[in-house]
Amino acid sequence: MQAVILQLAVSGIAMGFVYALVAIEYTLIWNACGLLNFSHEKIITMGGYVFVGTCLFQLGLPNIPAIVLAVILLAIFGIAIAALIFIPLRNSTRLIAVVATVMLGQVINEGVILIWGSVALMPKNFLSGVSQILGATVSKSYVYIIIVSIIIIAVLQFILKKTKIGKAMTCVSQNKTAASLMGINVKVSMAITVAISFGICCIIGVLTAPIFTVKQQMSTMIALKGFCAGVIGGFGNLPAAIAGGLILGVVENFAGLILPSVFKDVVAFALMVVFMLFFPDGLVGVKNRIQKHIAKSQMEKLS
Amino acid sequence: MLDVENISTYYGNACALYDVSFSVTENEIVSIIGANGAGKSTLMKSVMGTVRPREGKIVYKGKDITHVQTHKIVKSGIVYVPEGRDVFTKLSVEDNLTMGAYSKPAKAKELNALHEEMYEMFPRLKERRKQMAGTLSGGEQQMLAIARGLMSKPDLIMFDEPSLGLAPIIVDEVFDRIQAINKRMGISVVLVEQNAFMALSISSRCYVLENGKVAMQGKSSELIDDETVKSAYLGM
Repeated sequence: MQAVILQLAVSGIAMGFVYALVAIEYTLIWNACGLLNFSHEKIITMGGYVFVGTCLFQLGLPNIPAIVLAVILLAIFGIAIAALIFIPLRNSTRLIAVVATVMLGQVINEGVILIWGSVALMPKNFLSGVSQILGATVSKSYVYIIIVSIIIIAVLQFILKKTKIGKAMTCVSQNKTAASLMGINVKVSMAITVAISFGICCIIGVLTAPIFTVKQQMSTMIALKGFCAGVIGGFGNLPAAIAGGLILGVVENFAGLILPSVFKDVVAFALMVVFMLFFPDGLVGVKNRIQKHIAKSQMEKLS
Repeated sequence: MLDVENISTYYGNACALYDVSFSVTENEIVSIIGANGAGKSTLMKSVMGTVRPREGKIVYKGKDITHVQTHKIVKSGIVYVPEGRDVFTKLSVEDNLTMGAYSKPAKAKELNALHEEMYEMFPRLKERRKQMAGTLSGGEQQMLAIARGLMSKPDLIMFDEPSLGLAPIIVDEVFDRIQAINKRMGISVVLVEQNAFMALSISSRCYVLENGKVAMQGKSSELIDDETVKSAYLGM
């Protein structure tokens, strides 16, 4: 029993980090450009194909250089998309922006089929095998997901908090006019943000390749659940998105203990609906409400 | 140092500025007064390039900056402290100041010295350096916006309604600092104000904007005694 719980915890946390990465990836673009990138699902898939199809199979690169090259290619693709679509659309109405990103997803989808075909690809000897942790058998890919995700989150925090480019990104997300008045090139900052976001998409594709295999629908579910993670955490807030992702991953995994496993996905979406109905501003909102309540009760005690 | 020559600026088809010219020379305080909607902020935004004039020319230090990007204008030495302060509410006071120096790459040591200089000028900011800017009072936010503007060591700083929504005692403090910036640091100042009396009393020259046009201009000491200005803007 203990082993089962540990197994569920590890795979739940791993998937939670995947959802968290998805939430981070689209929150970055939401904060910088004010638009929801509905094409992110296809970009994750594209990342998987670039990594396995091009870098591993066609170029025959070893794993690490293949990952680096794939991430760089996706980041460059991100800059192009930012310049052609996201930046010009930043001031347009929401509907136009939504339609544009959905269509971009379709174009990418067709492009992927055109370039790599509609076959599923499986990287060989990549993040495969199992390891024993405290008597539980855990797939190595889950362990790698957890480690890599923590590194990405730490690096991203460092970039946003400590580097000049990252601070500029934060300013652009808070107030674009004021940012430009500080001498920040807002468009360049947006393009860098999109490049980072697409790079993270690529890493998600790489990390989940051994679990889902690289195919057209590999990221449909994680893209949707990443969206749930953002809603549960609190939209537009990076730490909250991470918390939302982890909670979602663990809860849905343990729900599998009680409910039939086909209901696993239902749990995630039901959780999102509950949050939308009762806590529309997510965990951040709940935290704020509790803080307000404590402050109020303290004031009452004093008076 | 700054020459705005016959600019006209439109929002869609609405004309916000019509054939406006004004100039600022080294080391002076120029004020721009006028009622709500007279085009004062539009004039500032046209200089900064956040809105673009349809006609006319803006020359700064001999260079045409009419079509230069905003961030490059900031780099060339003009800073605009916008109406409503526009501080980064979710960044600390300290980080806000650091961002002010964004356009002038500085070493950590120089940056620290700049921070200290600002804290000396605005001691309240030092007390609150770790606080989020959004939690500051209106007066403190205004001080922060001014200090943030000074962090890039500009040659020309433009203030848009710095007294807006502040208590009278704080307004005095703000104007005091603006004068100090001009006198002690030798920075030219453009002051856009609805508080015409304050603006006229600390500036050397003044432009009066009315419905997007320059209605009057001249020495502040003369305008302050002008009958039309008195009745329209000073309420006397």
